Amino acid sequence: MASPTLPSSLSLVDYPLYDDATQMERRIERYPLSFTRTPNEPLIARPLTRSERTGPRNFGNLFGIAPGDVDLSRATPTSPLAMGQRIWIEGRVVDEDGRPVPNAVMEIWQANSAGRYVHEMDDNLATPVDPNFHGTGRLMTGKEGEFRLQTIKPGAYPVLGTGWWWRPPHVHFSIFGMSWMDRYITQIFFPGEPLNETDLLFNGVRDEEARQRLLFQPLTPSMGKPGKVDEPSLIGYKLDFVLRGKRATPEVD
Amino acid sequence: MAAANRSRVSPFGTTGPYFPIEWSDDSSDLTHVGSATATGQHILLAGSVVEAGGKPTRNTILEFWQPDANGIFRHPLDPRAAEADPGFAGWGRTRTMANGIYRLRTVIPGGYEENGVMRLPHINVMVVGIGLTRRLVTTLFFGEGPDPVLDLVPKARRARLVAKRDASLDDGAAQGYRFDVVMQGEGETPFFAD
Repeated sequence: MASPTLPSSLSLVDYPLYDDATQMERRIERYPLSFTRTPNEPLIARPLTRSERTGPRNFGNLFGIAPGDVDLSRATPTSPLAMGQRIWIEGRVVDEDGRPVPNAVMEIWQANSAGRYVHEMDDNLATPVDPNFHGTGRLMTGKEGEFRLQTIKPGAYPVLGTGWWWRPPHVHFSIFGMSWMDRYITQIFFPGEPLNETDLLFNGVRDEEARQRLLFQPLTPSMGKPGKVDEPSLIGYKLDFVLRGKRATPEVD
Repeated sequence: MAAANRSRVSPFGTTGPYFPIEWSDDSSDLTHVGSATATGQHILLAGSVVEAGGKPTRNTILEFWQPDANGIFRHPLDPRAAEADPGFAGWGRTRTMANGIYRLRTVIPGGYEENGVMRLPHINVMVVGIGLTRRLVTTLFFGEGPDPVLDLVPKARRARLVAKRDASLDDGAAQGYRFDVVMQGEGETPFFAD
């Protein structure tokens, strides 16, 4: 197994605290679990030591994964296509200095086109499961932090029990970067969805500019060839993920 | 890369309820990598994750990052990385069941010296899940100190970060240890600024 690719100057990377003003609020009005699960005591400041500056990079071994694309639109490589609007998503994983994060593992999970997850806790029983869609996948970024995945556009779904809250279509991402300090999880939304306006989580980021960074950017759709199933027509989206981490003094080149 | 290119970090989000079960279960044993087995004292670490009022939480996700039994992190920033135990994963993940209990198989990490200071054996713990829009980070210690990070925690709260030997959890050669997480309320777990 090749050794993990890391910049030689990684020891110079600083991981400042997240800026609460441009992050999601910890306690969100009308989202009761955010009030009962957020600590009351102040968070304790600590220096960063070797323990936090390191982090898992051996996913070639642990997950048997190598740089490359992933396709969620089939449950297995040989099974039929899932129902729904076929899309691709591409972008880069970078740090705050714009440096690529190579060999970053990205985990992706989402609902099917009707808004149902393959999960024992999804009790939206009135919404169908698609036998050809599992809704989970992993990839590893390339040398420039680039990634590309194919999937289907997830559906909206009701948060049962709230009586009003519909989640807009969204895709969940979990990213392992260079260290324990840039381990990152989020969910990304589609532009122009009416349900974005009322979603508690999307609007839990109060800062307008920061909230826009939770939206996929539309790309020119690709046009397939008639009769060619392996050259599909796809709606494309772009998103760059900026992980925490910057040089104490940025270099100029 | 010019400083003008510096971007603001993307907003963190919640996992929500539907974090894939198999992604937790498949990574909840750090003691084997391929056909190799980790050296050191194997342990079964278990505990509850509760919210306000001591109420158990379901499918809360816990991730762990630690050095091997010799105190070595499998990462280029560890000067001894080349000697890291090939049988030890270093990273793992588990989830709470409907009763709020999680289980993890790992080894007791080794202590090590950093900048002339000895670190107590410890495991980094990250908590994400329903209701958490940001991750919670803390550290689990084997022993009560001194340790430059544990010593920053108010004395009355330090015991919350110390794993407790629990023979009722013993499983064959694996020793049982207990570490409970209280997200909020009485006996709240100390979490670190992030």
